[in-house]
Amino acid sequence: MARHDEDVVTVGRSRAGTVTANTTGILFGLIMIFPVYWVLNTAFKPDSEVRSFTPTFFPASPTLDNFRSALGEELFLPSMLNGLLITAMAVAAALVVGFLAALAIARFQFYGRRAIILVVLGVQLVPFLALLIPLFLMLQKANLTNSLIGVSLTYLVLLLPYTVWTLRGFISGIPRELDEAAMIDGCSRPQVFWKIILPLTGPGLVATSVYGFIQAWNEFIIINTLNSPQKQNLMAWLLYNQTERGTAWGPLMAGAIITSIPVVVFFLLIQRNIATGLTAGAVKG
Amino acid sequence: MTAVDTVVPRRRNRDARAAWLLSLPTLVILLALLGYPLYRMILLSFQNMRLRELITDLAPPWAGVDQYVKALTDGVFWGVVGRTAAFTVVSVTVSVLLGLGVALLMRRVTRGVRLFMMIAMMFVWALPQLVAAQAFRWLTDSDFGVLNYLIDKIPGVDFANHSWFVNPWEGWAVITTLVVWAGIPFLAISLSAGLTQVPKELIEAATVDGANAWQVLRGITLPILKPLLTIVTTLSVIWNFGLFTQNWALRDSHPEPVYQTLATYSYTQAFGQSRYSYGSAISVITVLLMLGVMVFYIRQMFKIGEVD
Amino acid sequence: MKRKIAVAAALAATLFGAAACGGTAEDEGATSATGTVDGKGKTIKVWLMVDAETAWKDVVDDATKRFTEATGAAVTVEYQQWANHLTKLDATLAGSDVPDVVELGNTEFSKYVFNGGFAELNKGDFENSDTWLSGLSGACELEGKTYCVPYYAGARVLIYRTDLFEKAGVTAAPATYTDFLAAADKVQAQNAADGKFNTVYMPGQYWYAAMSWVKSTGGDIAAKEGDKWVGKLSTPQSQEGLQRWVDLVKKYSKADVTKNENEQGAIVAQGSSAMFYGNAWEQGAAEETRKDPNDPNSALLPTKVKGKLAAAPMPEVPSFLGGSNLGVTQKSANKELAAQWVKYFTDAKSMEGLIKASALPNSTALLDKAATDNPAIAPSALSAKASWFPPNAEKWADVEKASVLQTMLTDILTGKKTVADGTKWADEQIAATLNEV
Repeated sequence: MARHDEDVVTVGRSRAGTVTANTTGILFGLIMIFPVYWVLNTAFKPDSEVRSFTPTFFPASPTLDNFRSALGEELFLPSMLNGLLITAMAVAAALVVGFLAALAIARFQFYGRRAIILVVLGVQLVPFLALLIPLFLMLQKANLTNSLIGVSLTYLVLLLPYTVWTLRGFISGIPRELDEAAMIDGCSRPQVFWKIILPLTGPGLVATSVYGFIQAWNEFIIINTLNSPQKQNLMAWLLYNQTERGTAWGPLMAGAIITSIPVVVFFLLIQRNIATGLTAGAVKG
Repeated sequence: MTAVDTVVPRRRNRDARAAWLLSLPTLVILLALLGYPLYRMILLSFQNMRLRELITDLAPPWAGVDQYVKALTDGVFWGVVGRTAAFTVVSVTVSVLLGLGVALLMRRVTRGVRLFMMIAMMFVWALPQLVAAQAFRWLTDSDFGVLNYLIDKIPGVDFANHSWFVNPWEGWAVITTLVVWAGIPFLAISLSAGLTQVPKELIEAATVDGANAWQVLRGITLPILKPLLTIVTTLSVIWNFGLFTQNWALRDSHPEPVYQTLATYSYTQAFGQSRYSYGSAISVITVLLMLGVMVFYIRQMFKIGEVD
Repeated sequence: MKRKIAVAAALAATLFGAAACGGTAEDEGATSATGTVDGKGKTIKVWLMVDAETAWKDVVDDATKRFTEATGAAVTVEYQQWANHLTKLDATLAGSDVPDVVELGNTEFSKYVFNGGFAELNKGDFENSDTWLSGLSGACELEGKTYCVPYYAGARVLIYRTDLFEKAGVTAAPATYTDFLAAADKVQAQNAADGKFNTVYMPGQYWYAAMSWVKSTGGDIAAKEGDKWVGKLSTPQSQEGLQRWVDLVKKYSKADVTKNENEQGAIVAQGSSAMFYGNAWEQGAAEETRKDPNDPNSALLPTKVKGKLAAAPMPEVPSFLGGSNLGVTQKSANKELAAQWVKYFTDAKSMEGLIKASALPNSTALLDKAATDNPAIAPSALSAKASWFPPNAEKWADVEKASVLQTMLTDILTGKKTVADGTKWADEQIAATLNEV
């Protein structure tokens, strides 16, 4: 978190102003957090308290039943596993392929470089949902609908431009002098990439893969269109978990928490790098 | 130094080859899984693909510009376009203004409060879109929702069983609130990072010269913040124009006509009504409508030097 | 000589069935469900809706067991969710790895039958096929051929609070619509103090209910005139029925006009509703909830209305006949085996199991038996005798998907449109969708 107390302007500020600002700030924080709190609150209540005309602001008899129920739902764990597999495959492939392209853009001056940059930046902006119809038809011809591989491939395309773009940023941050020095010491170009740049891009690779993870993990429209319930991820599970008695809000909110935990943890871990990724265009919470 | 100079031309050549080789996998993947679908989408929009062609292996008949004519002469379609555009303008304006406000506020509050605001925003930001949407659906539920319960507590107000989606204005207010609420952290945190770039000496000098807060904001802060502001606004436009998750989830996966946006409309036409070609035509029109904004964004990226 | 060959070919076709002919022939004749097939080493894939899993899994298991004994083939059953099963089905049918048997709602079948998704079956091969409920089998028939088999049905009834009726001085279930309104008035007067009280809980997008009222006055949704579909909601009879429903909702219901009936059980369970219109099983859903909502085998917990509900046919209002059919997919590689499984799953023994699980059987001949065997579904079995079903049009599913009726109902209930304007708008939408080429 940014610490810029020192450079905050203090001239012409009144105490009353600070009190007003603080009150507004706290109020703002509370309003922001309330929906999140309500999800937690609901998840720890028994069904009788959840579906009640008089909502309680704290669980009167807190219970873990909703979590047990969500975890015990027959498609929950398979969905979680599917999500992990798909995400891992897509992120890994995007990292490998994207790193190479990022190297090219960051370390070489060559004819066509700007064109590649243009493509990478441009395709991030194409609304991906618009491509869902032809992708669906293509994957269906290749017998890749209702398969984890098919979804991974689409996610790979979803992640790739962003991965290239952020890795490029990280690689550009490594001083070129290091390359030159290594080459004078007798390293070949590939050796420089392998021994100097790759290790130094480590944190960048972690940050990028975490972003990729979040993007792929949060996706539900594509997977829900391409795959049957047995091959869904957790987001699609959240959208369609219905019982014969309508939406079971308690277990649904518990499921939502379990689904969000990896995202929140990862997100908080890499929030320092967010600023770099932000304006690159593909990150949306 | 001289030795290096003579090597340069040959190395340039080799470099170019190596660079293209390194970029090749990325380009191939993008071409196969993005370029080709894009081509197929355009092709499809000139055909008439329905359920029969999908499940049997018949080739879809050629339809020329029929799908486009159908869309462009349909009042319902124009309604969707107008609604999507209006939503984008309103939601982006509100979220950018609020985001800027919060960023400025964060500079004004004491450290503890700032930390609290940051933590609250981080959680909101990290929450997956769909989870956030489900949470809002639950908050605004007409029978069991806490929002109605709270408003109903205000003396003289009867909000028991109030349905938020009867009146489209109210329904859209809920959707907009959700989008703005979820969008503020990104805007506020990045703008607040941008604000640290504003030299405090400048502000202090202006304040000493008798400029009020508004004048400082207009005269100093905003001009310095402008490039960043442009980028985040453009991005918000692109994201909000493609609204899908929020109205989809809040309307329980079958949004009524007044809650359709271009993205959901194209999706329901294609996958709900099996009008794959009509859905594609709508997608093509959507991309064309967005093209201006996208070109502007990329030019901005080049201009502010993000690129090189 | 030529004739002899033709006869031999026909014989061969019946003996070896369509599977021998390969999959691409234009008209390969009906798939038989009666021959002996050696299914050893083969597995057929069956898609059933989730209801089968929660309510009558034993029937599925028993039919599968008998099927496997007879043919040697194995069966895998995948249970689908109602919310998005059609999109899923489209995605799957488009590929080549398709399920062999698919269950769809009766109003959804026509679209797939018309577009060549399902294989032709031999109607006579299935038990009770001459007394199938026409509300189910209607969707299976196209140009005199049969493409699916009715599976089960559900008819809607009036479910009411006996304690509240008694308190208001109503002693018997209403026998006429006038009785029903009188009872509603009494109950309403008695409970005027409760701000959340629904005399009749009727959510605004409950179109099955609204259309039942339309039918009650001789109205209709759409009808085929010549080769064109014409919307019939704006006819005087339809408008009269719809007006009756609108009056009912406005006077007696505080339900959300943008919700459908999915949650009515849970809402009635809160104790602030005296009556609702639902499937027989919804009475149970309102009286008891599962301890673990995601586990159909978990303990049942009583709600506030446990033991206080009773069901009766809704007087003078014909019920929508909901339900499901089973079809064998055109792309299936094991059509005959699939048809045989359907035969076992819809025979008299399976139907008995369904009746026990409070579903209505697929045949009019079995309705009386259902009423005596399981008193809990007697009112609904009675309702099913006077029932209706939506237009049997290829594109009817698109009308449902586009939420035309739901939008019309919400618009009318909120006063945005009058009954006349709303029905006129809906008629235009329905005609445009059903007649679209």
